Parts: sequence; structure tokens; C-alpha cells
Amino acid sequence: MELARDEYATHSAYDELLDHALQPRAAAQPLFDYLNSLHEDELAKRRQAVDATIMAMGITFTVYSEAGNIDRVWPFDPIPRVMGRKEWESIQAGLKQRLRALNLFINDLYNEQRIIKDGVFPAEVLQDSANFRPQCVGITPRFGVWAHICGTDLVRDKDGTVYVLEDNLRVPSGVSYMLENRQVMKRIFPEVFRTTNILPVDDYPMQLYQMLASLSPRAGEQPVIAVLTPGIYNSAYFEHSYLAQQMGAYLVEGSDMVVGADDIVYMKTITGLQRVDVIYRRIDDAFLDPEVFNPASVLGTPGLMRAWRKGNVGIANAPGAGVADDKVVYTFVPQIIKYYLDEAPILANVPSYLCMLEEQREHVLANLDKLVVKPANESGGYGMLIGPRATPEEREQFAELIRKNPRNYMAQPTLEISTAPTLVDGRLAPRHLDLRPFVLQSDKLYATTGGLTRVAMRKGSLVVNSSQGGGSKDTWIVEDAA
Amino acid sequence: MMLARVAGNLYWMARNLERAENTARLINSTTHVLLDLPHGATFGWSNLAEIAGLDDLFAKTYPEANEESIMRFLIEDETNPSSIFACVRYARENTRTLREVLPAEMWERINSLYLYVRQHAQAACNSRRERYIILNEVIQQRHAIVGLFSGTMPHDDAYQLIKLGRNIERADMTTRILDLHSAISFPDDSVVREALVERIWMSTLESLSAYQTYRRLVAMHVRSNDAIRFLLQDMRFPRSVSHCLHEMENCFRLMPKSQQLQQLTALLRLKIAQHATADLDAVALHEYIDLLQMQLGEIHDALLQNYFHAWQDGALPSAQAQGEIEFAQQ
Repeated sequence: MELARDEYATHSAYDELLDHALQPRAAAQPLFDYLNSLHEDELAKRRQAVDATIMAMGITFTVYSEAGNIDRVWPFDPIPRVMGRKEWESIQAGLKQRLRALNLFINDLYNEQRIIKDGVFPAEVLQDSANFRPQCVGITPRFGVWAHICGTDLVRDKDGTVYVLEDNLRVPSGVSYMLENRQVMKRIFPEVFRTTNILPVDDYPMQLYQMLASLSPRAGEQPVIAVLTPGIYNSAYFEHSYLAQQMGAYLVEGSDMVVGADDIVYMKTITGLQRVDVIYRRIDDAFLDPEVFNPASVLGTPGLMRAWRKGNVGIANAPGAGVADDKVVYTFVPQIIKYYLDEAPILANVPSYLCMLEEQREHVLANLDKLVVKPANESGGYGMLIGPRATPEEREQFAELIRKNPRNYMAQPTLEISTAPTLVDGRLAPRHLDLRPFVLQSDKLYATTGGLTRVAMRKGSLVVNSSQGGGSKDTWIVEDAA
Repeated sequence: MMLARVAGNLYWMARNLERAENTARLINSTTHVLLDLPHGATFGWSNLAEIAGLDDLFAKTYPEANEESIMRFLIEDETNPSSIFACVRYARENTRTLREVLPAEMWERINSLYLYVRQHAQAACNSRRERYIILNEVIQQRHAIVGLFSGTMPHDDAYQLIKLGRNIERADMTTRILDLHSAISFPDDSVVREALVERIWMSTLESLSAYQTYRRLVAMHVRSNDAIRFLLQDMRFPRSVSHCLHEMENCFRLMPKSQQLQQLTALLRLKIAQHATADLDAVALHEYIDLLQMQLGEIHDALLQNYFHAWQDGALPSAQAQGEIEFAQQ
């Protein structure tokens, strides 16, 4: 197995699998032993088998473009990302702590707003929040939980510290790819699963089902659970259908459901109307219910909010949960954890500058060439400025945007995010990656074993989003050597 | 309990797969019979488009009906919704919306069939030899899919809807293939004509994989009246219209609130059994087949109304109901 030593020579980021002497780290040693046991062209053959498998399994995502929607095959790198169990368990504890605090925070914002009255969280931030839903004020969903499913993006900096990059609390996607990546690996490299103790990931659908079932308003009866999708043209449609299939849930579109004057949600079946107990919605708040939000929405179902407010249906994530999925709110998470749990954060936040605070804004404007600037409410890597790579004109344009709407922007130093060896032209070359674990909360907390590793397939690129040319790897959490 | 939209997609998926297979069969047997045509007899390629009821659409895009243009039209033309490629693509799109109700391998099988057709459609148009091999492969993959359905799917409503789609499409195609005979103008020379008529009937039976069965169950020689009766009425042959209708009756019997549909289907089968086939000339056959296709269309419409728009019948629950009513659970 040939290492791209030339690329590694000029490389200063932390590598997940290799130490600075380019020797495998302890957790990755069995993987490298295995890779070295493979014949030269064996890996190339397996690589082809991977492509054929993914094609046959039809693991795809959709990209919007001017030429229409293109169904692309999920780009997959066969070299897994490996992490020791001990390190992972500490991260897992941090993820659960974070979501627990965020849910207390959201419930507080929609009710007493103690955190504002106590001066820990500024009222202005809430006032200008694009994702705060006044329609949700005064509601406490079951267990006080709003964000039942959270996809947390983690990156590792040069010195090995793992940082939380953002908390996706609206409709985080990617978990199906995490599950399918493991299926593909098992088909292509069955031998390595015998020699390495890789922890399984496949309990997620069961955990998700149990979490959703716990939200059912009809206790004691088998709940009718529906996954609400915007439809086949959504980029994550594959995932919606996959999760419904795995859970034995109904995959519905907004027009498949109606809400009666009895404020109960029904779906249209071949024998008439049937009550729905829990909706795992994969459409944004704005489109959920045209009676309450965007009246032009054809994706949602009129009356859903009525039914939810009455407690006649469980909705995950709850409408309005996105208020905490905001890059400005993000900067307050350490204080939020301290305030509600009286604990020190286990996972670090990336140091951030808030453009709404004059002093910090001036720092950001003066250092645009060194910083990454992000809008508060965009996802998928859209609308951000990577200062060191932008042209002076682009930086000037962005400075203008920031001055116009300071609340909408925050900035962070450019992290040198970690890499892992990735198969490029027959060699293992360093490519940057992140990790998105998924965390569930209802009456209990759960976090996936590992998560979805997304990798920027282009040399030097930091953009891992699948919509912008990113790929993914299987993520192995392995038992640490005794 | 099944979503009305899902039910519709299952039904159409099955119809599209069946249509793709039937078209592949039709092309293979026709190509085959051409090799044996007597001197002085010619075969009009446009007949193939007529059978599928697509002659108008064909004439819009293609200036001339020859082997090449007809093959393009029936195999790979995306603008023809009944081409093999289009049918397989629709079926795949349908399946994509159905993954949660189908066995997990189903998507992989149908996706593989789609990828196969996409890759080989052009070669099938260009060369007779390759066409035969490729279309046979399409038929075999379809058989594997049907096998997967019956062998791994729970025999629930979803299964019945797939079976319904398959059988109504099959019945429809059998009537269309029969109609071919009224569309052909035979030459005046009586010797040539007789040979040609029998040839065409053999090809017809062959395209339905019925030739061997016909010889075993009916007669060695293929005569029009016998062949018509066989393809319309013989309950033993799985592609006869009566057999397909009987399969549909069985499906309806297992489906909720299906009494009207059961009656409609049984009645049509009864009428077919009583219809004399002995004296049908080309014109009468054509008229009779038109009638049959209309009646199959009525069953199709009633099925759509009964299942895919079922929820519209029940008015929305009122404020008093409080969800205590269970709707039409059977």
C-alpha cells in the first residue's frame, strides 16, 4: 500500500490514522496490517467492487442544478476512519451533555426565558433569531424535549483537540449513509471485521424508533409513525425512505395527510383515513403547516400545528427547535451548559467572534483574511467566507454584508482540520474530514457509535458537504489495545 | 393499512414491469418469425407500433417505419412511455418511493434491471443477434423480480396490488397482440396467404410463450379460431385474458371493500367465456377486442377510484369525533 509521501511531507494537519512519523496510530494498526496484507491490485479490485456495490444498492443523493436534478451516486472512500473506544466514549458523553443543555435552553426560551432574565443570554439575539417561532411560545412538548435528533459536526484541530463546529437541530441528515457505509464495507472487506474488534453501528434505526414511539400520544397502543418527506426530489429522499423502511414506518408526503376538525392527524389509506401518532418530519418549519407558517407551502399539511399544540401528535424535531441551531446561539453553548447543568462543557467550542458586538466586529473586519465568516442560519456550507482563500474583492463584499446585518454573522479562526489517508489514484493521500455523530433524546439519551465521516475528496479542500463534492468514509470505533 | 399514494405506485410499478417484459417478448418473437417468412410475403414493421397502440406517437417522431426506427421507438426511446427503457425507468422511479414497503433486495434488483437496460438498449436496437440476447436477459431479470415478489413478500395488500397491476397489464397486452391479426393485410395469393396466416399465429403464440402449451393443450396446427379461443378463454394458460381476470378476482377477494370490483371482474370473465369465437372475421375480432379493452379500462378506473382515492369518501372527522372512530378497518 503506497503512501503519498510527497503530499504528507508538506502537510501540517493532524492525521487521524498516522502519527507525525507516518506510523499508524495504535487504533489504526490492525487496519494497516490488513491493508499491507492485500496484494497491490487487490485494493484496486475492491475499489471497483465498492463502486459497483454502491451503484447496485442505489445509494444516491440528489443535487439541484440548472440542468435539472441529478441523482448522484454517493462518493465513498474505502479507507475507514478509525478511533479508539476510550476517546470516543468521552466525546459521546460530551454530545449527550450538549443536547441535554440545548433542550433545556429551547424549552426555557419558549416558556419562562429564565436565561435571559438572569442575564446569561442576550434578549437581542433572540429577538433577531430567524428560527424562533412565536407560534410555539407557551408549549412544553413531552419530556420538555424539542430537539429529539441532533447531528453534531465535529472537527479535530492541529493539536488534536476535538471541537464542535455546529449543532444541527432542524432536519440533520446523513445517518443513512453512516449505516450504508458500514454495509458496503462488510460486503467488500469481510475479512477485516474478523480480525479487528469494530463496534457495530446498526442499532440506530431501533433507537430512533423507540425515541419516536415514546412521543406517541396514545400510550399502550402500537403507535403509527410516519416519516414526512418533501418528496422524491429532495436531496435526502434516499435517507427518508431508508429510515422509514428500517423502522417499518410510513413514508408520507404532506398531501398524504389531513387534519380533521377534531385536531387529529390522519393519513389517506386505501381504506380511508387512519390516525397518525408520531411524525418524524424531514421538512423545515416554514413548510410544515400552511395554516401557521408559509401559506404557499404545498409540502406540509394544513393543521399540523393545531394537532401538535393539542398534544394529539408527536412531532420530531418539534417545530421551533431550530432556534438553537444558529451560529450565534452556538457561541453561547458553553454558558448554556454551565447555566442549566452546572457542569463544565466536555466538548470544546471553536473560539468565535460575534459580529453583533462592536468590539468583536471590528476585530473580524480587521482580520477577514485570517477568519472564516459564517451566516447564522445557513447550512450545507452555503453563504460563508473562507478568508484566507478569498479574493480581496470577495472580502470587501463580505465586509459590507457584515456591516449591514451584524447579527447574522459570526467568525472563527481557520482551523487546520484533521485528515485521514484516502485512496486517490491508487495511493493513500491525506484528505480533510469531519465527523457527524447523531444524538437522540426523549426520556433517555443515545448517541451513535461514531457517526458519518465526511471527507473533502479534492486535495487541500476543506469543504466536505456532499452537495459540494465531498465524499464519506466508514467510521470505526475500535476496542483499545489492553 | 396502506397509503393510497403508495398503493398507486405499487400498481403502476407492476404494470410498467409487465409492459417492459411483454414488449421484449413481442420484439423477440417477431424478429424470429421474420426469418421464416415465405417468398412474396412482407411484414410491416409499423404493425408493432400499432399493437402497442402507439402508431400515432410513432408517426410523430419517425418519418419511416423500418426495423431500425421501430426498434429505437420500442426499446430505447424515452419519449415513448411504453418503450422498454421508459417502462423500466418508471418502475425504478416508482420503486424508489416504495422502498419502505418492499423487500430490501427488490430495489437492488429493479435498479440492476434499469442499469442493464440503460447500458444495453442501444446495442439491442442495432444488432438482431445482440437484441435477442439482451431482451432475453431483460425477460429473465423480470422473472427474477417476480420470483422475489412471490417468494419474499408478505402476501398482503401491497402484494395483491402488484399482482393486480401485473395481470391487468398482461390481459391488456394479450388483447393487443390478438388485434395484430386484424391489422395485417394479407396478400391475394391464397397459398401464400394461408402460410402467412399460420406463421403469424405461431409468432403470436410464441410471443406469449404459448406456442408449446397450445400444441400440447389444443392442436398441432394453429388455426385462427382455436388460437383466439385459447388466448381469450383457456383458464389453464396464465396469459389468457380469462386467466388474468381470474387472478384479479382472487386478489380482490383478499383486498378490503372490494365487492364491486370482484363483481365487475367476474362478470367480464363470464361474458368472455360465453362469447363465440368461431365466426369472428378480422373486422368483428377488432371490434370485439376494442370492447374488451374498454371493459378492462373500466376495471382499471374502478380500482383507481376505490383504492387510490378512497379517503375522499369519508368526510373529515368533526370536532366531536375526537378520533375515536376507526375508519373502515377490515
